[in-house]
Amino acid sequence: MLRNLFLVISTLGLACALATVLSRNLVRAGLWLVAFFFCVACLFVLLEAEFLAALQVLVYIGAVSILLMFGIMLTRGVQGTDPTSNPSARLAPGLVAGGVLFLLLSYGISRERGLRTQRSWATTGERPAIEPGTEGPSTPRRDAINNMGKALGVELMSRYVIAFELAGLLLTAALVGAIAVAHREEAFEPSSKGAPASSPAAESASVA
Amino acid sequence: MESDIPLDWFLLFAAAAFAIGLIGVLTRKNAIAVLMAIEIMLNAANVNLVAFWRYGPLRPEAGPIPGLVLAVMVLTVAAAEVAVGIGLILLCYRRFKAADVDQYDTLSG
Amino acid sequence: MNVFEGAACAFLWAQSQAVELDFWTKARWALWLLVGFFGIFPGIVAYMVWLERKVAARFQDRIGPNRVGPFGLLQPIADAIKLITKEDLVPGGADGAVHLAAPVLVITSAFLVMAVIPFAVGLAPVNLPSGLVYLIAASSLSPLGIFLAGWSSRNKYSLIGAMRAVAQLVSYEVPQVLATIPVVLWAGSFSLVSIFDRQVNQGWFVASPPGLLGFVILFIASIAEVNRAPFDLPEAESELIAGYHTEYSGMRFGLFFLAEYLSVFAVSCLATAIFLGGGMPIPFLAFPVNLLGESAWSYVIVDAMLLAVFLVKVLAIVFVVLWVRATLPRMRVDRLMNFSWKYLVPLALVNVLVAAVWYELVIRPGAFDAGRWMMGTAVTGPIVAAACWGVFAINRAHGARAPVSEQWPSVGRIGPGVGGRGVSRRGL
Repeated sequence: MLRNLFLVISTLGLACALATVLSRNLVRAGLWLVAFFFCVACLFVLLEAEFLAALQVLVYIGAVSILLMFGIMLTRGVQGTDPTSNPSARLAPGLVAGGVLFLLLSYGISRERGLRTQRSWATTGERPAIEPGTEGPSTPRRDAINNMGKALGVELMSRYVIAFELAGLLLTAALVGAIAVAHREEAFEPSSKGAPASSPAAESASVA
Repeated sequence: MESDIPLDWFLLFAAAAFAIGLIGVLTRKNAIAVLMAIEIMLNAANVNLVAFWRYGPLRPEAGPIPGLVLAVMVLTVAAAEVAVGIGLILLCYRRFKAADVDQYDTLSG
Repeated sequence: MNVFEGAACAFLWAQSQAVELDFWTKARWALWLLVGFFGIFPGIVAYMVWLERKVAARFQDRIGPNRVGPFGLLQPIADAIKLITKEDLVPGGADGAVHLAAPVLVITSAFLVMAVIPFAVGLAPVNLPSGLVYLIAASSLSPLGIFLAGWSSRNKYSLIGAMRAVAQLVSYEVPQVLATIPVVLWAGSFSLVSIFDRQVNQGWFVASPPGLLGFVILFIASIAEVNRAPFDLPEAESELIAGYHTEYSGMRFGLFFLAEYLSVFAVSCLATAIFLGGGMPIPFLAFPVNLLGESAWSYVIVDAMLLAVFLVKVLAIVFVVLWVRATLPRMRVDRLMNFSWKYLVPLALVNVLVAAVWYELVIRPGAFDAGRWMMGTAVTGPIVAAACWGVFAINRAHGARAPVSEQWPSVGRIGPGVGGRGVSRRGL
């Protein structure tokens, strides 16, 4: 059951990723990208990280894809076609490079031996159980899965606080930088691009 | 009887998505399309992080959710990267009147 | 775009792994899906439209629909039949698949939001531990659908409407999300069921100065999120024909229509569930919930009371939304952005800090008592009032200093010393 579900979702996801890369129309490529993000969110749910799945949908589909669409609108013709791209000349080397990379990675994944105390990746057939009774009534992992928002907040505020502060600084810098970079100097065109360009950063700051 | 998903399925999915992202980065000319391909690669990395968190052993000094924290950081960086990236592309578009990465060649002499 | 539907189904199906998936759970979900999502919610939408027409008619000194059935009660059914039987036109130049996917995406978003609302004890379709984040994520799908609708129509009015809509929705999402943070802080959980339980013990969250401010911000931002007047610029009929759904007809337009009213209902449910104490009739009493006993009948009676009160509150909020629509004129597009980024976002940010003060003073010490509540109100009330006054004063002063340019849209004459005070002011 789970395996079939995984196969369906991952096949859909890879197909969407491929369509993103190969689609001539940029807006359609963005649309396929959204579908790919959704499939990844489904995979997160399969990995019992539903909070992260919700964040993925919120940040990627709600903000990043909208921003990409805005970018397409402002740089291309409205229809979003990509006439300058010439896939046939570059596609073959690109496909070869991607295929070789995939073969290398999959070779590495299947031949990994694991540390002395761990099982190798290829033989890890099932995840550590979190059902009650296996390791006592409460394990850190089970508590984290059952209330992931709280666990994430506590971790970000205690153990990973420096990373959290740095991320906040990065978001602030991105907010200011995006506005500064995209701001139009000319006075004759009242700029409204500052607001949409800055919002996803602010939004993810509010959720992070 | 339900059988769980093996770990390496997730890893293979992530590897394939990463390779597809690489194909996109290499073949597309349009800067925004390149940005989309980079997003695919970042997502693939995120899948790996979460899968290792869920399947691997937990070290007490790393807390209960190290992989998730890392994934959230990747998410944050991706959001910031897209915001700045789109801003840069808009600026380049205004200056070069093109959104193709191979026309930004002022540095090539 | 069947990918979206398939992925949505897979998403819901994958959720089932987290809960015990026995026969009764499946039966309960099938019941929710069939009765709630295909029967009750569209019915609610139909009669909300009827209510809106009646209420707006009374505001405008008319009678409203009164021909089909008593008090025009069958009018929504006639409208639905008309919509279904109309010809389904797709413009010649339109992008067919995307044109179809857009309304489906919007309606999916509106329906998915309803999946975590706790209507009464045990009457939440799904109790996710991160329900509020899920809800926000699901509602953030609709800007994409609206954008695609405008883009795929190949119509300039559609495109302008879609761009306006996306800018507006993305801007107002920020204060909307920020306004819910106090609730999450006080309840210590994203689960809407936990938030409801917390309000049973602590009183409604709206009954505190930061809660009140949060509720007001959430309400204003939600009106903007669902494109209702005075924030209905994306479909401003006097400027843009019908905005992003200009090129839609028949049942595709019907889906947009359904989604809009369903979203109004959903944000009313959300505000009720997280700020107004769900179905609790009295702010600081755990009145119906403490009657819950072992027997099934006590559940039925208590749930019936909770559901009735819940629906009355939702109806009150919907009425206020209609009232606002009938009263206020449409905002100008630059003022719309100003209002979000210069007023609501700073206020919401301050409100988060004040909510932390309230948490320390009133909620952390333990069970609710009146003395602490008075003290907390005495401390946070002035802060909230000062913050509101400060934000408005700073914006007014800033707006008055800005020079009036020739390009600035204005009603009266423009020029140094010519425009009146109220005519050429920048800002709100």
